[in-house]
Amino acid sequence: MTPTTQGILVLTATLLLLFSGVPVAFGLGAISLVFLVLFQGFDALRVVAETFWSGLDEFTLVSIPMFVMMGAAIGSSPAGKDLYEALDRWLYRLPGGLAISNLGACAIFAALTGSSPACCAAIGRMGIPEMRRRGYPDDVATGSICAGGTLGILIPPSVTFILYGIATETSIGRLFLAGVMPGLMLTGFFILWTLFIIWKRGFRSHAPDFRYTWKQKFTSVPKIAPFIAIIAGVMWTLYGGVATPSEAAGVGAALCVILAIVIYRMWKVDQWWEILRDTMRESVMILMIIAGAVLFGYMLTSLYLTQTLATAIAEAHVNRWVLMGMINVFLLVCGFFIPPAAIILMTSPILLPIIVAAGFDPVWFGVILTINMEVGLIHPPVGLNIYIINSIAPDVPVTTVMWGTIPYVLCMFLAIIVLCIFPEIATWLPDHLMGPVKK
Amino acid sequence: MDAYIGLVRRLSQITGVIAALLIALAVLVICDMVIERYVFNLTTIWQIDVVTYSIVAATFVGSPYVLMKRGHVNVDILPLHLGPRARYWLAIFTIVLSMAFCVALWWLCTKFWYESFSENWRSNTVWRARLWIPYLSMPVGLGLLVLQYAAELLATATGRQPPFGMAPGQTPTIDIPT
Repeated sequence: MTPTTQGILVLTATLLLLFSGVPVAFGLGAISLVFLVLFQGFDALRVVAETFWSGLDEFTLVSIPMFVMMGAAIGSSPAGKDLYEALDRWLYRLPGGLAISNLGACAIFAALTGSSPACCAAIGRMGIPEMRRRGYPDDVATGSICAGGTLGILIPPSVTFILYGIATETSIGRLFLAGVMPGLMLTGFFILWTLFIIWKRGFRSHAPDFRYTWKQKFTSVPKIAPFIAIIAGVMWTLYGGVATPSEAAGVGAALCVILAIVIYRMWKVDQWWEILRDTMRESVMILMIIAGAVLFGYMLTSLYLTQTLATAIAEAHVNRWVLMGMINVFLLVCGFFIPPAAIILMTSPILLPIIVAAGFDPVWFGVILTINMEVGLIHPPVGLNIYIINSIAPDVPVTTVMWGTIPYVLCMFLAIIVLCIFPEIATWLPDHLMGPVKK
Repeated sequence: MDAYIGLVRRLSQITGVIAALLIALAVLVICDMVIERYVFNLTTIWQIDVVTYSIVAATFVGSPYVLMKRGHVNVDILPLHLGPRARYWLAIFTIVLSMAFCVALWWLCTKFWYESFSENWRSNTVWRARLWIPYLSMPVGLGLLVLQYAAELLATATGRQPPFGMAPGQTPTIDIPT
């Protein structure tokens, strides 16, 4: 059997199996075992246990549970509510100020938790009822929060970038920095669109009927500022090269838990257990997929499938932008169905040689890939965030939420195009602060 | 049968707590390492190994708990759109398949662990850790995972729990972080 036929066979089997609803981690593992035995015999199984273990036995991977814990500590405290209130009280007088403070709160909360669903739930729970109360149309209120939530995986620290960094051996600090400006740009696009659409629908109110006092404006700030300081500190140690991501995130996680306990008086063992349990669930899920994906990657390379594909594409001499377009479409379609962590771990080892051979910057591609994953989070049929919004605001029909998100999906496409034309938006900050990549 | 399902669930609950504590341990050890290394300028020996092994062990040992809580993420678009009968059989198929993988992996990992134990393998780090201790998490965790899968199979096949955890005609259930 030629490698091409093998490749098609593996690809079809993997897709079919994933769609059967089997847990991604075990599905990938099962496929790998079956094809290793099929094409190489039972001898090939001898290295499986060691491969599975060594896929996880890596100090860098420790940063994943640490960042997850940081997010869980902040997510389980009422910090989201305070952040939202603080921004609203400062911005409520601006026309469309509520939309700005919602999306701004999403962007900041995204940086704090790094989790898209958590961000959506925390900000949406306050933001959506408030926007609807002040007369924003339902689709704008739900759509903007849905989209704002996805910023969690683009604005650092982001677990998505860690996964990409590990899968492709790209510097995680560099990836984090590369996410900052595109993240802000995308937030800007979201805000502009929201302002435009509510203006176009004749919505002019900016809450003239009430005022917040200066005291009210300042009450929430001291509760939120320490968390933002911790994240800023983690980022600083990372790009300063002072400590490794795992060390910085570990200390950050400990500090976030302590702060959550002190500021929000979370003394109860139950509340501690909640943070630990959420951290454990999320990390175990991601790490199991990593182990499964490492086994899958081992199977692909030992059957020479990755290499065959890379050579085939290199020999086809496709224009590099056509190639990039094709990769984007491929990722988008994957993103419609498969969770981001699984896509990144499965595809990036295959895509990276192709990307590098075509002369693209792997850090820049990490950002493009992440924006693609964001689209999948708010686009039907899976669109995790849509379901979360649906459970927060059950009286808004799902179709309204879906239509509400479409303009934001277009904003993301626009961001991808802008990033293709001006790659410096992603690469300037890391290159400027960490020096250009050594080739 | 209910006794078996109950027992396995109790076990998964316990190992879930152990996994969570392992992660907490990792956080504490990282803090210790950072203080020793950057505040007192000492060389650290055992910390990196302990942290890494704790997290890997937590992954294996916590896996049965995560399975019980339906935390192992899957693509649920097809099961969502199937009728009740097809969904039932698809659920049985995915459980049997995952269980078969876990049994195979458990067997391979147990052999691997036994080798590391009988030949007294050491890590090639400064600490020269005895590898069979962290490796033990693989046979234990995966063994429990197989037991939990057997419980899932029984509960799903006998209708004690809905296939894929989806009630008929319902959108997927998502735990929202509070």
